[in-house]
Amino acid sequence: MTVIGAALAAEDAGHGGGLEPGGLPDPMHQFEIKRLVPFELFGLDASFTNSALFMVIAASLITLFTVYAMRSRALVPSRLQSVAEISYEFVANMVRDNVGTAGMKYFPFVFTLFMFVLTLNMLGMVPYSFTVTSHIIVTFALAAFIFLGVTAIGFWKHGAKFLRFFVPEGVPLVMLPLLVVIEVISYLTRPLSLSVRLFANMMAGHTMLKVFGAFVVALGFLGGWAPLAFMVAFTGLEILVAFLQAYVFAILTCIYLNDAIHMHH
Amino acid sequence: MAGAENQSGRKSGGRDADSLRQRLDALGHELAGAQARHHQAPVSAPQGQGAALGQALRLGVELVAGVAVGGFIGWAFDRWFGTAPLMMVVFLGLGAAAGIMNVMRTAKRMQADAAPFKDLPSVPDDDDD
Repeated sequence: MTVIGAALAAEDAGHGGGLEPGGLPDPMHQFEIKRLVPFELFGLDASFTNSALFMVIAASLITLFTVYAMRSRALVPSRLQSVAEISYEFVANMVRDNVGTAGMKYFPFVFTLFMFVLTLNMLGMVPYSFTVTSHIIVTFALAAFIFLGVTAIGFWKHGAKFLRFFVPEGVPLVMLPLLVVIEVISYLTRPLSLSVRLFANMMAGHTMLKVFGAFVVALGFLGGWAPLAFMVAFTGLEILVAFLQAYVFAILTCIYLNDAIHMHH
Repeated sequence: MAGAENQSGRKSGGRDADSLRQRLDALGHELAGAQARHHQAPVSAPQGQGAALGQALRLGVELVAGVAVGGFIGWAFDRWFGTAPLMMVVFLGLGAAAGIMNVMRTAKRMQADAAPFKDLPSVPDDDDD
C-alpha cells in the first residue's frame, strides 16, 4: 500500500492536483490512468495501474459477496443470501427469456459479465474511486471478446450455414449483394455500439458530476446550493445509469447469443 | 365403547384432514400467486425516465456506430487498394444504411418488449422452482 500511496502522491504532485489553468479542477483528471506498479513485458507497458487495481477489487468483491452470502445455504435465506439469490435469478431469467433454455449453458459467462460491469460501474460511484468502464479500451475489449465468442459459437453450432445469417429472406436476387454487405456491416457495428454505449454513459455522467461539483465550489456558500441540489439528483440518476448500463450490456450479450444459437433476427 | 370412541376419533381426524387439505390448497394458491408476482417483477426491464433515456441513447449510438464502422471499412479498403476516396464514400453510405437498419431492428424489439400483456404466460408455467 505504501508503494501505491507514494505513486499516487507523486502523480498528484506531477499534475499539480489536476487543476485547470483557470484554477477550477479539471473534470477529466478523474479518468487518468496511473501506474501503480511499473512493469514492462517484452517491450510492452504492462504496468499494474489504478484501472487494474479496481478490476481486481471488483473481482474480489464479487467473489467474496457470492461466497460469503451463500455460506449458510439456508432454505429460508438471510437478507444477504436473498441478494445473491435475486442477482442469480435476475440474470437467469434474463438468459432464459432472451436465449431460451439452450442459452443456460452460457449463463455463467453472462452472470460474470453482468456482475463485473455492475460492480465496476457502482465502484465508480464511490468518491475518490476510479471508473474502469469509463475507458473505451476496457469496454471495447469486453465487447470485442463477446463479439468474437458469439461469432465462434455461431460457426460452431451451424458451421458454414451460419453465413446464411447475413442473407435476408425474400429479397430479389438483384438486391442481394447490396443487402448482404449492409447486413455484414450491421453485424460488425455490434462491438462498437456495445462498447461506446457503456463508455459514453459512464464518462459523460462522471464528467458532469465533476463539472457541477466545480460549480458548487466556484459559486461558494451563496450560489452553490443550486448546483449542489442538481448534483444530489444527478447522483441518483447516475446510480440508475450504472445499473441500467450493466443490464443493457448483459441483455445485448444475450440477444447476440440468441442470434448465434437460433439464427434469426 | 372403545370402538365408538375410535370411530368418532377417526371421523374428527378425517374432518381435520379435510379442512387441513382445504387450508393447504388455499395456501398453495396464495403462494403460487405470490410467486408469480415475485417472478414477474425482476424480469421486466427497468421502467421510467432513466430507461427511456437509455433507449434513446441506444438508438442514437446504433445509428452513429453504423456510419463509423462503414467509414472505417471504406478507409481501410482505400488504404489497401489505393482507391481513395471511392471506397470510403461507398462504405459510408452502406454504413449509414446498416445503421438505419440496426435502429429499425432495435426499435422493433423495444416495441415488442413494450407490448401490453407480454408478461402474461401464453402457456401455464409448469416448472416447479
